[in-house]
Amino acid sequence: MIRLEGLGLRAGRFEVHDISLEVPGGGYALIIGPTGSGKTTLLEAIAGHAPLQAGRVFLDGKDVTDLPPERRRIGFVYQHYHLFPHLSVRENIGYGLARSHRPDSSGGSWTRSDEVAELLGISSLLNRSVRGLSGGERQRVALARALAPRPSILLLDEPFAAVDPAARQTLRQEVRALHEREGITTLQVTHDFDEALRLGDLVAVLAEGRIVQRGTPTEVFRFPNSAFVARFVGSGNIIKGMVEPPETGTPSGPFSGRFRGDGLVLDVVAEREGPQHAVIRPEDIVLSLTPHEGSARNQLPGRVVRLERRGPVTLVHLDVGRPLVAAITAASADAMGLDHRTHVTASFKATAIHLV
Amino acid sequence: MSTRSIWPRLLLAALGALLVLFVVGPVLRLLALASPMSLVEALGEPELRASIVLTLGTATAATLIGALFGLPLAYLLARRRFAGRRMVQGLIDLPVVIPHPVAGIALLLFLGRKSAVGGALAAAGLEFVSHVPGIVAAMLFVSAPILVSGSREAFRVVDPQLERVARTLGDTGWQAFRRVTLPLAGRGILASAILAWARSVSEFGAIVILTYNPKVTSIYIYDRFTAFGLPAAVPAAIVLLAIALTVFLAVRLIQPMETE
Repeated sequence: MIRLEGLGLRAGRFEVHDISLEVPGGGYALIIGPTGSGKTTLLEAIAGHAPLQAGRVFLDGKDVTDLPPERRRIGFVYQHYHLFPHLSVRENIGYGLARSHRPDSSGGSWTRSDEVAELLGISSLLNRSVRGLSGGERQRVALARALAPRPSILLLDEPFAAVDPAARQTLRQEVRALHEREGITTLQVTHDFDEALRLGDLVAVLAEGRIVQRGTPTEVFRFPNSAFVARFVGSGNIIKGMVEPPETGTPSGPFSGRFRGDGLVLDVVAEREGPQHAVIRPEDIVLSLTPHEGSARNQLPGRVVRLERRGPVTLVHLDVGRPLVAAITAASADAMGLDHRTHVTASFKATAIHLV
Repeated sequence: MSTRSIWPRLLLAALGALLVLFVVGPVLRLLALASPMSLVEALGEPELRASIVLTLGTATAATLIGALFGLPLAYLLARRRFAGRRMVQGLIDLPVVIPHPVAGIALLLFLGRKSAVGGALAAAGLEFVSHVPGIVAAMLFVSAPILVSGSREAFRVVDPQLERVARTLGDTGWQAFRRVTLPLAGRGILASAILAWARSVSEFGAIVILTYNPKVTSIYIYDRFTAFGLPAAVPAAIVLLAIALTVFLAVRLIQPMETE
């Protein structure tokens, strides 16, 4: 269990303010944010490397705010691995083990180092020097080194960013499997929302040192609470504009209204009037070659600008007076005979528009 | 095309070669005079033997004292940002620009019996002027910058994140330093200590003012030269050169691996 209460600190040019977050025992949480948002600073604060200006850190129910890093039982994996260059792979993995459990240089008997190495599929590397290992191998050694002392908390700082894409995919799956097997409460920072969708139970979006939204990855992706989050997690089409006041007085709940922005007029279900952003996810948009007569949907005539094939899904870039992206299956793109300059109608329900 | 670009390179090579020859020439000339016989003969001189023992001993003492006080400073300079850090860094390099006799005079004024510091130390039984501690003091003064800046660089190139990793793996600050930073900086520190030691062995200007007697080898050579002329100074000069070349080789053997 990790609980942060009102954390505030400053390290160099990075600062974080009033960070409160709870990761339940055995959970996997991700903090996502753009470069420079203070993600690494936050992890280092949890690990005890940077003194706090405000707040408390609880790990497994214990207040560790005043404990030095070595007494927090944390495993920390850095983006650039930071293996000890003067030690072999085996010695690196065994570094954090109690002296009596440390592997002797001759190899010795079966040890925790061997066990963790096997778990991560790097048994064959044990006697090698860390120089000359590939990025993926280094990351596995770094993970093994962090896991060997059986920490109760695992902190991962962009652990897959410096690994090549092919190895990244495998490593992600392995880390997730390892997490389930060992049940270690894990907190990872990343700038890649895709990673959050694949790995996390819980995600918090960090911007300029503050948590601006938290929830399950799907919640954050479907219902971003600001244009910043929407843009950052790639929720799709974001249109800046204005919800017109309802015709009849001040409504107490959601009301059917009209959104104007960027030359478009859309029917929406709004909570309040005034300047807002409309977020429309590409998969909520339906394309047709002819307009639907008498439909209750928003209908926008437009022209295909570009087709972007992504495996089973095709992203259709449209010009409807402003750019709009729709996602349809590759099969329907073919069936409709979509091509550059094809005239289509994009339609979507009022309820598919998420206002922030 | 290529014939046009060869001349500038040739000119640069020629200029460099002349300077290298100028450095190597005198050393080779002196070595040419060395024969096993002349060395044995020179070492048969008790006064020279005593001076060599004195030189090696005082240089070692100066290096050890420099390391004791200088390594923590080097670590601080490499790792911590503190007020006045740049100033401290500049001050420690000061001896490099002070002419050695001037350093000797400054040390004489500072450590002499008539000064407050020198007087107090003399009262405590530590005499510098015309005593062995004077030699060590002069050597420490001229060699400390080499030791401190060399080991500062050795510490600086060790990634500080490695210590943080060691801390999360259960090491205290001191354990992380001993198990990670020190082994990684070791070669660089050793190389700078050897260079500082060699600088101490070669010192003349400051020592000659502080402690002429007992004589270190450089002063012994100067003494022989002024009293008996060139031939009398050569054997001792060759002995000192041999020591210097040994150190040179040692540092060369350590350093390439460090810069890998």
